[in-house]
Amino acid sequence: MANEQINEQKYNEVWMKPVIRIGMITMLIACLLSFPPLIYLYVVHGVLPPFAQSMTAWVLVASVFGAFYIVEPISYYPILGLAGTYISFLSGNISNLRLPCSAMAQEVVGVQEGTKQAEIIGTMGIVGSVIVNLIGVTLAAFVGTWLLGLFPKFVADAFRQYTAPAIFGAVFGQFSMRQPKLAPFALAIPLGLLYIKAPIWLVILAAVFGTIAIARVFYKMKLIH
Amino acid sequence: MDEILKVANSMGAWLTAAPIVIITLVQVLLYYRQIYEAADAVNLKPEQLKQAFRTGMVTSIGPVIAIFIIMVGLMSVIGAPMAWMRLAVIGAAPTELTAATLGADAMGVKFGGEGYDITAMAVSWWTMAINGVGWLLLVGLFAHKLEVLRDKAGGGDIKWLGILSSAAMIGVFGYLNSRNMTEVSGPLIAAVTGAVSMVILLILVKNRPQFKEYTLGAAMLIGMFAAMFF
Repeated sequence: MANEQINEQKYNEVWMKPVIRIGMITMLIACLLSFPPLIYLYVVHGVLPPFAQSMTAWVLVASVFGAFYIVEPISYYPILGLAGTYISFLSGNISNLRLPCSAMAQEVVGVQEGTKQAEIIGTMGIVGSVIVNLIGVTLAAFVGTWLLGLFPKFVADAFRQYTAPAIFGAVFGQFSMRQPKLAPFALAIPLGLLYIKAPIWLVILAAVFGTIAIARVFYKMKLIH
Repeated sequence: MDEILKVANSMGAWLTAAPIVIITLVQVLLYYRQIYEAADAVNLKPEQLKQAFRTGMVTSIGPVIAIFIIMVGLMSVIGAPMAWMRLAVIGAAPTELTAATLGADAMGVKFGGEGYDITAMAVSWWTMAINGVGWLLLVGLFAHKLEVLRDKAGGGDIKWLGILSSAAMIGVFGYLNSRNMTEVSGPLIAAVTGAVSMVILLILVKNRPQFKEYTLGAAMLIGMFAAMFF
């Protein structure tokens, strides 16, 4: 593969610019489309969420998740790239779905990490995962209760409880094979911080940027390539 | 509660929940088309794009079954249209449940309990919506600035940029795993078995690349079943 013989100008024209345009527009439209169900409650049932309580609820929810609005996009960006970030933060399920799908697409196609090719291939993997995700939630919405009755209970329980941990372990295994020297640090940093009960947003930041910092040191010392 | 769920499952709720689900589809279709237009500029062939798309689909089957099951549970609490809308966009089930509960808290009633009327439900819906907007708005407005940041951090050293991506990935998944490592339990068994089987499977398929796209899905299933028999 002729790796980085890429026409920068053309790349900007056919990729970066349209990616930003599509991303910004769809994200801002999605902000507006978050509220129509409330309009329905008002128009048909005459119910408006009371102002004071709504502001209280906003403060409460922002105090729980507000830090993640900022920390998550920054932490996931080096992996997802720009288009991948727009898609992942619209469609959600980032850790259990988008990141693994992006990584596997890159692994299977065999592109070199961090390249423009890798970014586009990873984005394509994420696109595939959104399609399956949408089919899944739409099936659940319309025939979910009936379909779930067909699963034995212990199988349904296993999926509910163990899919996420199993996939977290598997992806960690996959990347530890590439950079085995970084793996112990990536576990030790968050474990230490969890032990002293640090806030979760800090644990994420420290795990990601701590591991990157150690990678930088090792790279300079020529311990990893 | 039954009265509330009747409103939550009404046709009007379905119709007003649908647009944001549709925009997620529109967005990926636009990117799908753009990827094909850009492929040439980065020397990617259509077969490679198809392979990436297929891998994304195959890899997501397991996690999507989990989302499916969790969502059916969520439907009984917030109604099918809201569950459908909220799980098609940012914010997984626990996040949405937390937001809905905080909405009820602000009204001074117990979520889904006595006194949880249509007004309280409206506050729950508002809280889920405004919480999701936090991510949507910040990413919509500022994500492209992160590209500048990455360029600086990468410093044009393509080898280092690759290591940086790997390190970020190991860091994120180190964190995600660490939360299951504080006690010996089903999730820990699932994670360890998942990790070991992934490593073994990747070694096994080294000379059989046609099976590579199934490795993560298979490792996930092995980890899950190991935890079941724990």
